[in-house]
Amino acid sequence: MSAGGLATPAHFRGWIAGNALLIAILAIVIVFSVAQPAFVSPDNLIGIVRQVALFGIMATCSTFVIMTGGVDLSVGPVLAIAGLVSYYSLGAGLPLVLVIVSGLSVGVLVGLVNGGLVAFLELPPIIVTLAMLGVVRGSALILGGPEQHLIRDQPQYTFIGAGNVFGLPVPILIFGATALVMMFVQRRTPLGLLVAAIGDNERAAYLSGHRTRATKTLVYAISGFGAALAGIVQSSQVHTALATYGPFGTELDVIAAIVVGGTSIMGGNGSVARTLLGVFFLGVVNDGMNILNVPIDIQLMAKGAIIVIALGLAARGT
Amino acid sequence: MTQAPLISGRSLTKVYGHLIALRDANLAVMPGEARGLVGSNGAGKSTLIKILTGATAPTRGAVEVAGEAAPLGDPKEMIRRGVACIYQHANLAPAMSVMDNLFLGRQPRQRFGLLDRARQRREALDLLERHGVDLDLDAAVGALPTVQQKEVEILKALALDARVILMDEPTAWLAASEVAKLHATIRTLKAGGVGVVYISHVLDEIFALCDTLTIMRDGCVVAENTVAAIDRPTVVHLMVGEKLARESDEAARQKRRARGSGEVRLRASNLAKRGVFKDVSFDLYAGEIFCITGLIGSKRTELVRTLFGSESFDSGSLEVDGRPAAFSSPSRAIARGIGFVPEDRRREGLMLEMTVTENLAMAMLDRFRQGFMLRRGRMVEAGRKAISSLSIQPPDGTKPVNLLSGGNQQKVLVGKWLNRAPRILILDEPTVGVDVGAKAEIYAILRRERDRGAAVLVVSSDLEEVMTLADRIGVMVAGRLVAVHDAEAVQMDEIVREIGMETA
Repeated sequence: MSAGGLATPAHFRGWIAGNALLIAILAIVIVFSVAQPAFVSPDNLIGIVRQVALFGIMATCSTFVIMTGGVDLSVGPVLAIAGLVSYYSLGAGLPLVLVIVSGLSVGVLVGLVNGGLVAFLELPPIIVTLAMLGVVRGSALILGGPEQHLIRDQPQYTFIGAGNVFGLPVPILIFGATALVMMFVQRRTPLGLLVAAIGDNERAAYLSGHRTRATKTLVYAISGFGAALAGIVQSSQVHTALATYGPFGTELDVIAAIVVGGTSIMGGNGSVARTLLGVFFLGVVNDGMNILNVPIDIQLMAKGAIIVIALGLAARGT
Repeated sequence: MTQAPLISGRSLTKVYGHLIALRDANLAVMPGEARGLVGSNGAGKSTLIKILTGATAPTRGAVEVAGEAAPLGDPKEMIRRGVACIYQHANLAPAMSVMDNLFLGRQPRQRFGLLDRARQRREALDLLERHGVDLDLDAAVGALPTVQQKEVEILKALALDARVILMDEPTAWLAASEVAKLHATIRTLKAGGVGVVYISHVLDEIFALCDTLTIMRDGCVVAENTVAAIDRPTVVHLMVGEKLARESDEAARQKRRARGSGEVRLRASNLAKRGVFKDVSFDLYAGEIFCITGLIGSKRTELVRTLFGSESFDSGSLEVDGRPAAFSSPSRAIARGIGFVPEDRRREGLMLEMTVTENLAMAMLDRFRQGFMLRRGRMVEAGRKAISSLSIQPPDGTKPVNLLSGGNQQKVLVGKWLNRAPRILILDEPTVGVDVGAKAEIYAILRRERDRGAAVLVVSSDLEEVMTLADRIGVMVAGRLVAVHDAEAVQMDEIVREIGMETA
């Protein structure tokens, strides 16, 4: 991985394998920009980042769950219900800070329940979060009903999704800040090391005196937090809260970004930085196909194929 | 005898990297012969077995089956030629019936590929009758007692027309009465002309069952004889070798420190866990090494896990430094100064994909914490010190720990506790799969900890290890601590006799 490692062919191959995704992203950018020069315009590039911001926030926050060997399928409905809770909090006239806190709390709460069931009752994560996906979607529908709730005359709130700071859209800044915090936690705190340790060998982590159950619970809470944050940003961006936001497939996109990035679905090996690469990779592919007017059905198939190919290459590279 | 052996390995040598696991080994089994294969851990027994079953190819040497050269490293072909192996852990589908297990993967078929249940039952009954085994064909294998599971495995091998059955510690998980039943089955097989290679650490079983004996040490066959012509002390001596025997004598002449400084660090009184162990009482003193030995399955592991708080006990009491200490989790035990090295380093000990430094830090992340932050620099520095003081090879903290040899992995696992200066250090089988050199290093580390004043508790099945290392020796049989000796005042033979005792 080191720059000095370029000296020998073996090192070079290792460097290629370690940075395959980065190279792939650059290659795709070059191909798309030759096919359609508008692709590399600053507006489009910022557009790409803004488009990936929502699921980028979710993916970075959900990376720890995957690293511990778990999975969180409930992010879609959490996104929806967080938007609804914020909408009603606004309606109740709460100050902005409390609006945001209440929206985020729902996500954290769902995460704590997920994590508690996984860590303390030792239920399989895929079942727990699948069940929670249904429960939370149902709750969102009870709370919000089928209709759209327009968020009007709330300039402070809509600033979160539609505002600009230093010429950059606020969602991008939130995404950037989330990513930085998560990278920091992963690399620079004992928690980050412990998350990897649990994914690698949970029993050994427990026997080393770590509170593995509390940590696993926390990790799901972080994932719920990320989904709720994305929900707040989205509702503010489109001035609407709706119980069916974050439709089926949201969780798959999130998992795809994490896994394409190179975090092992079996747990252990992984990083938030790799998830970022995965997010951008999928974002670039999406946007490029839109610009080239690829029909949506073909896009879906292409995305599926790309994910499989990327995973296949990653498996061979390591 | 002019008859060809059922199987014979000639000049088998196996080299892994720069480790010679097997050197010029010969082994032959005649029809109706039960050959015992003994040697301490790492003597090369399993490598030899793996070559004979075709699981691995030897670097040099040849294998003949019934006088014909057999292909090397081809397990399917070896099974076809009648060589079967029964491993320590059952290799069966527990939810399926006995009959289905017997024919797993090769059920008789009718036309259109449908299963021929009638024929399957007929063949199974025939098999039972021929070999004088009584089993319920429709019982789920998982519901059977362990010994019957072994019998299912043996029958499964016989259903494939096995002529030679290699058994790797088949009695490790059996109670004494079950062992006798298994031995009766094996005798029936012998009478039918089947050859058996029987690996066991329990010399009593070898002497009771086997006709001939092959003794291995450090990858070589060091002796071969009929069981009638050799006695137990000679076997032990050959297994252990001159050098270790001498070292063990030297260690034996070293002053033993039974009860160390006289200060009781840990006191277990009438500890019991239903169906696992009972009436376990002992004191562990500061400045001594207390070894608990016994057969695999005598519940030593369960006992020490209880001390460390990773398993609970039902009754009795536990004190550390005179204060009650029923730990509900390892973190509480660690907070009171206990360190624990588990038996299976790959499954319970190490984060295999993480680096040596990270693994060394794993039990003391609190020491590298500053607020929310991890002080990576300190962690790396502590890792570097540990690597040099434990002489971990290669001395590179950034290597993933799974790239290290077994001995060095084990040093990492022990080392991760040392920076905490534990008051009590518990180790479960600390040198399994560790070469002789690293073994000596680990012993030196443990003696150093003892001399520093730690109370060291070692669970070990390796009697040489126990005799070399222990200041005091406890013997566990079927969940009871049946005897505690000062190491100075006891001979190995006596320990061996006690280990084999059956409790009522």
